[in-house]
Amino acid sequence: MSQGVDASRIPIERRRGERRRSPRPDTGGRSLAERLGSLEVVVCCGGGGVGKTTLSASLAMALATTLDKRVLVLTVDPAKRLATALGIKGIGNDPVVISRARLRRAGAPAHGELSAAMLDMKSTWDRMVERYAPDRKTAARLMRNRFYQRISDAFVGSHEYAAMEALYELHQAGEFDCVVVDTPPSRNALDFLEAPERVSDYVGARLLSWLAGPSRFGVRAMNFAAAPFMRLADRLLGSDVLSEVSEFVRELEQLYGGVQQRARAVYQLLRSPSVGFVVVTTLEPGPFAEAEFFCTKLRDFSMPLRALVVNRVLPDSLRDPRGEAAASALAENGNVARWLTGELGEHVRPDTTRAIGENHLMFAALARRNAAQLQRLQRIGDVAVTRVPLFTDEVGELEGLVRIASLL
Amino acid sequence: MTAALALAAARAGKRVLAVEVEPKGDLAGALGSRPVGAAPHLVQHNLSVLSLHAEESFQEYLRLFFKIPRLARLTPLARVFDFIATGVPGPRDMLVVGKIAFEERRREPNGRPVWDLILADCAASGHVVSHLAAPRAMMSLVRGGIIRGQVEWVEAMVRDQSRTTALICALPEEMPAVEAIELHERLRREAGVAVGACLLNRAFTTTISPAQRTLLDAMLSEGHRDAVSERLGASPAPLADSLQLAERMRDATVKCGRELRSALPVPVVPVPLQTTRAGLATARAVAEALAEAAA
Repeated sequence: MSQGVDASRIPIERRRGERRRSPRPDTGGRSLAERLGSLEVVVCCGGGGVGKTTLSASLAMALATTLDKRVLVLTVDPAKRLATALGIKGIGNDPVVISRARLRRAGAPAHGELSAAMLDMKSTWDRMVERYAPDRKTAARLMRNRFYQRISDAFVGSHEYAAMEALYELHQAGEFDCVVVDTPPSRNALDFLEAPERVSDYVGARLLSWLAGPSRFGVRAMNFAAAPFMRLADRLLGSDVLSEVSEFVRELEQLYGGVQQRARAVYQLLRSPSVGFVVVTTLEPGPFAEAEFFCTKLRDFSMPLRALVVNRVLPDSLRDPRGEAAASALAENGNVARWLTGELGEHVRPDTTRAIGENHLMFAALARRNAAQLQRLQRIGDVAVTRVPLFTDEVGELEGLVRIASLL
Repeated sequence: MTAALALAAARAGKRVLAVEVEPKGDLAGALGSRPVGAAPHLVQHNLSVLSLHAEESFQEYLRLFFKIPRLARLTPLARVFDFIATGVPGPRDMLVVGKIAFEERRREPNGRPVWDLILADCAASGHVVSHLAAPRAMMSLVRGGIIRGQVEWVEAMVRDQSRTTALICALPEEMPAVEAIELHERLRREAGVAVGACLLNRAFTTTISPAQRTLLDAMLSEGHRDAVSERLGASPAPLADSLQLAERMRDATVKCGRELRSALPVPVVPVPLQTTRAGLATARAVAEALAEAAA
């Protein structure tokens, strides 16, 4: 199995800002960026809190600078500081080019072009309505509908679809060699794989419209099946809401042909050989379980998992048996301090030697657990695993991205 | 973290319900149980867990409030209800908060609440605001009918500081700390939810004295390295990495703690890094740390 980028072998002191590549046995010595270089779309999935947005941006940077390409990173809801680092001033689907000068100052090689965009859900939905509505009047009516307004900007599920819609548009525009997408941090992020049926449950929506709405003749389509539904709906919502909902669903229905066609196109794109999925995780149990979930789901849908990126990995040197032997001697042997006092010619307190030893033993235990988790991960994903070491020192945001990019 | 809080509260004698919002099985696992379903399941003394499933919650909702039997095998209506419950974002988000509100309102025959404390292990920061703001969003849509009354009731629970409080979990790293600060603002502004505290998880609280650094440097210096290696039975060189990691993690903990304290108007509670394997033992250890912090 691949070791990926074995950054942990680089002494901590030397890692900072340094571009260094160690051998990658099972990847033909190629970096992650090189391995993903032929792709037009890279979709990054993973649980919350794993550093997915940062890694997506770093990967985009690595693809741009290593392969001299025009790359866009499409982020979903990044923290403000990262958005600022990337130069995104406000939300908007329009890509912003990150200036060469800023990249150079941050230490990035002067190749390629990196752009960033932040998903704007509302405008993505609006554009979709404008595109698929049969006429402008219908589009305007739909956009005024309160249900449309809430669904397009307030609710959780609408993120995923909007992300895929924006991705498709950006890919079709052909302005970039590669688009890296940072998906929302939830399991629903892969709901679009169940498209095109899932995008909107057509049968469900139609039935709702049929049950709720006035028929073509202006009379409610009352029948045996509808009667209990109508009674329930009126009790639940009040009748005016129901008519608004039905209006919304009816209007939406007019869009359906176009939306469904688009969903199919997105689905086709995602299954094409020019698209690859990357699962990002840490070795903490929660994110790890999420990574397992994403790997399984991708396999179930025959989607190409191209890489696993493990963030915040502890250095391998911590598992060196010599270190543990020395640490045990320091932690457990009270006479060592006295001996060291003689050897070094300075007074050494036993609690100081013990603290150094115990500290190392704690990290060694954590590193061992890391290693076991990594092995499990390699079995699950059955793809090359790229490790990004735990960085605990402080660097500027863009410098941080450059540093991670140099390891990908 | 939710598991640890639940254990700490249960040990303090409270009857606790822990709710898993995204049904992954982690929460039940951390409490030493197998994955649980949508009904409260007792996993420890005084402590039950339930896992939220949108569709099941919706069916339960219809059954409880409208005496409608399971629709699964009935007519195409089932399809419509499934569509509403799982396909339309609004009701789905609402069900998450609604189910919790329902559990909060449950009473025993003597009028006493069934639960003293309900802890929800929420979705990631981008989604939790949508979940908590769902009642507000629904109120702007539904102006009458039974649902309006229920949404109002749920909304009132979410906004009532004596009944609902959010705890933000952060990590001692730059981005998670920034996100925690942004989340606090969004919870307050968009969902109208009070934030009670910020828990700084995986905090590195061990003190690293300058003497440790001086001693290790001396041990690794050219004049002493060989003799020290011989005395200890192995080279202490790898200890330089662990000491440096410890120093940096401690610095990051101090720095993030300071940033969080200055930006958030709530207590910031460090929860020490655990070295045990995830599971009940870890949850217990964190619970003890939390109990100490509370004391």
